[in-house]
Amino acid sequence: MAILKVEGVTKLYKDLKALDNVSFEFDKGILSFLGPSGCGKTTLLRSIAGLEIPDAGSISIADKVQTSIEGGVLIPPYSREIGFVFQNYALWPHMTVFKNVAFSLNLRKFPTDVIKRRVLACLDLVGLGGREERYPSQLSGGQQQRVALARSIVLEPQLILLDEPLSNLDAKLREEMRVELKKLIKKVGISALYVTHDQEEAFVISDKVIVMNGGQILQYDAPDELYSHPSDPFVASFIGHSTLVDGNIVKAVGGECVVQIPQFDDATLICAVPRNGATSGPCSVVIKNGDLRLSHEKFSADAINVLEGTMVSRDYRGGLTDHRVQIGTKEVVVTSHRLCPMINVDGEGGKVFLCIDKSAISLIPQANAA
Amino acid sequence: MTWKANRLALRQGSLFPLFASTIAGVVIMTPILVVMWRSFTSGKLGFTVGLHFDNYLRVFFDKDIWPMLSNSVIYAGGSALLGTGVGGLLAWIVARTNTPGKALVELMPLYPLLMPPIMKNIAWILLLAPKSGILNGMLDQFLGISHPVFNAFTMWGMIWTFGIACVPLGYLFLLPVFLSFDPSLEESAYIAGSRPVHTMLHITFPLAIPAFISAFVLNFLRALRSFETPVLQGTPGNIKVFVSRVYDSMALEFNTGLATSYSVVLVILSVITLYFYVRATRFSERYATITGKGYRVRVIDIGPWKYLTFAAVCLYFLVGIAIPFVVLIVVSIIPYFDYETFMTFPAHMGLNNYRTVLRHSSFINGLRNSVLLSVVIAMVTVLAAIVMAFTIHRTRAVGTKIFEFIGTLPLAFPPLVLSVGLVIIFIGTPLYNSLWALGLGLFVAYFPYAFRNASGAMVNIHKELDEAAWVHGAKWRHVFFKVTLPILKPAVGGALFYIFIEAIRNVDVAVLLTAPGLEYGPVTLFEYFRVGQWAEAAAGGVIYLIILIVAVSVAKFAFKMKFSL
Repeated sequence: MAILKVEGVTKLYKDLKALDNVSFEFDKGILSFLGPSGCGKTTLLRSIAGLEIPDAGSISIADKVQTSIEGGVLIPPYSREIGFVFQNYALWPHMTVFKNVAFSLNLRKFPTDVIKRRVLACLDLVGLGGREERYPSQLSGGQQQRVALARSIVLEPQLILLDEPLSNLDAKLREEMRVELKKLIKKVGISALYVTHDQEEAFVISDKVIVMNGGQILQYDAPDELYSHPSDPFVASFIGHSTLVDGNIVKAVGGECVVQIPQFDDATLICAVPRNGATSGPCSVVIKNGDLRLSHEKFSADAINVLEGTMVSRDYRGGLTDHRVQIGTKEVVVTSHRLCPMINVDGEGGKVFLCIDKSAISLIPQANAA
Repeated sequence: MTWKANRLALRQGSLFPLFASTIAGVVIMTPILVVMWRSFTSGKLGFTVGLHFDNYLRVFFDKDIWPMLSNSVIYAGGSALLGTGVGGLLAWIVARTNTPGKALVELMPLYPLLMPPIMKNIAWILLLAPKSGILNGMLDQFLGISHPVFNAFTMWGMIWTFGIACVPLGYLFLLPVFLSFDPSLEESAYIAGSRPVHTMLHITFPLAIPAFISAFVLNFLRALRSFETPVLQGTPGNIKVFVSRVYDSMALEFNTGLATSYSVVLVILSVITLYFYVRATRFSERYATITGKGYRVRVIDIGPWKYLTFAAVCLYFLVGIAIPFVVLIVVSIIPYFDYETFMTFPAHMGLNNYRTVLRHSSFINGLRNSVLLSVVIAMVTVLAAIVMAFTIHRTRAVGTKIFEFIGTLPLAFPPLVLSVGLVIIFIGTPLYNSLWALGLGLFVAYFPYAFRNASGAMVNIHKELDEAAWVHGAKWRHVFFKVTLPILKPAVGGALFYIFIEAIRNVDVAVLLTAPGLEYGPVTLFEYFRVGQWAEAAAGGVIYLIILIVAVSVAKFAFKMKFSL
């Protein structure tokens, strides 16, 4: 059973296509919508909640049609039996924490003792036991966040929707909360849709990620797949931690190919053929910053993919160090861990050798590149 | 949205609010459309003679049209300039200087709530009347100037009275500008080498100009719509403006065609003014100096100048508040008004006027009707305004933007014009000369204030709060009563109270809709005054004053209400 099925959803704002024929299915777990602002991820989430009405397409939750413009079905948001956590929490300022959380239970006329039990259990779950009589304004941002979460899960819906729920917290709290949020959702055992523009957050929290841009889905994959095999240059650059150059496949032999890179002074690299099996033609080359080796000395003779470059700068950022190396006309970033420093560079402008492991490279044939 | 998506959206909790707003919209539009339509007809009521432009021809070929136009503009412009200028100066004194006695001014925003507009006119006529006026009498008695110097029944007299009434609005518009001014704007001028006075002239005041223009235009519009001053001071001095001409056409000639044609000219002037107001507001948004952070604005030590500003504060307090109050109270306790009796009032003191007034059934009826109706109208108007704002901002029905226009439209129609429309609609029906017609008139006249208030408050409340209720199972009525209304409560309380206060002392809506047996509030005072019963008018006015003081105190202390406008 698919918890969520979206088919051909299109939403127009005047001439702008906020959603452009979006279709996907999702079984269970946590799914993130990742993309830059204006990519349509929030519109998609709100359409699933019934807060936005798409111009075309259909949406089913747990095999029940919720929106079908062609079929004339539009279940109102209040009958969709979902939870929603808003970006600004949207806690009602005139109600206590208890009343905020109990709201949906009260509307459904649960007996008072059941409401009390469930609300208190829910508040305990999010770590806010004993604060039920406070008003939202008396709570910190992190606590308000938890109330919003409690409110969304108190009905025990099959699906909850979270719209950039951590974006109003400061960086440190955000890192704590995303781990806790994931634990909580897993513990309750419901599925969640999670909107974010932060790739790290999406990777930490979700089982699957949908990367969006311009109202379209670019890639729908597990986080590690997204990182190691981006299917689109935009995905690669948005996810970051890699250097992107243009290349040209000149030869392919048994699953591996040779790609020539003009920006590296026409140097060639050997790597696996792209996933679509293309054996020639232009492509984008994604080189992962973390899987590279850097040295003052030449690598041994049997090492492949060795390039010569000039050290530009070394940027220390806590546990990691970014080395910027000029190769041809392109600057390549090499990220090293503190415990295994690759080289000691005396200064800028020194000559260095870069060895690129085959697994550090993935190719995206140009045809895919929009 | 495509029409298919649209039709689906409409079914979701939009129908009832849409229906209620439509009814309110029709009620508002009816008197407006009737005035427009009647201006193209002629003849006495009930004898409609086709569509033509006779009234307009008469209006535009009236030899008085140009003097009337220039009178209107001079009167409105003069009082707006006086009021906004003084108000702005007081705002600056309170916000930025170390003048002693500032507290006298800080109470000022309350003052216009206490004093019914008609009482201000009465007080100033008593003071400035050419023959019997107190000030002219004093000049004669103490300085031997027998020729009357002051005359309330001139353009200057009108500008003076209404200009003083415009001060609080100027003050309220400019105070926030001076109070929440980002200090770094001035500090960077100091760093650049500008001295305090130079900074004030080149940075502080120029940045206040947009707010000044907004306040000026709004005061201009208020003067254009004002009824009491043109009729009580202008007409006796033969200074005609559009409002008094509309009133005369209705009350004396009973020529609805002519009255509506003059009304349309007046409405056109109002619309032009409103247009400038919208422009001015946009202009001031671009000039926004308020960044939302709570600044502690620096008070400047102005040295010996503070005695001058202190004198200015005292002068305003005397002229704007104390003297009219005292004059009214004294006149209300003397048997009849003339200069001699006034100056020797302790010898004639008594409560006779109050007894007389309270024995008049017309006064008692008027008082009862206005208290009753104001309470009902305040509640109905505010509730309807909230529903309309809800329809626009919170439902998905398409085309609700039209309500934004309808809800604001009566602002362009002076209350007198609206009541002209209502007279035309109701005459000959049982509703004519009933509280229903009066109530409708007040509803339409005050709707825009309640609507702007509710709409503004609703825009400020994050839509997510409603949506959160929606996704978690609330239908429209739950959203409205459990979330929207409770959150709006503080803002709504202010509007309720404001409309109550405005309605209870209304003259210009009611004046055409009252009749013997159906009196309304201060209209009775207006009639007293016109037949020369000045002392009774003063006594009746003091009774209204007491009611308003009680109401304002209850609101201020019991409900902790803050007054802004």
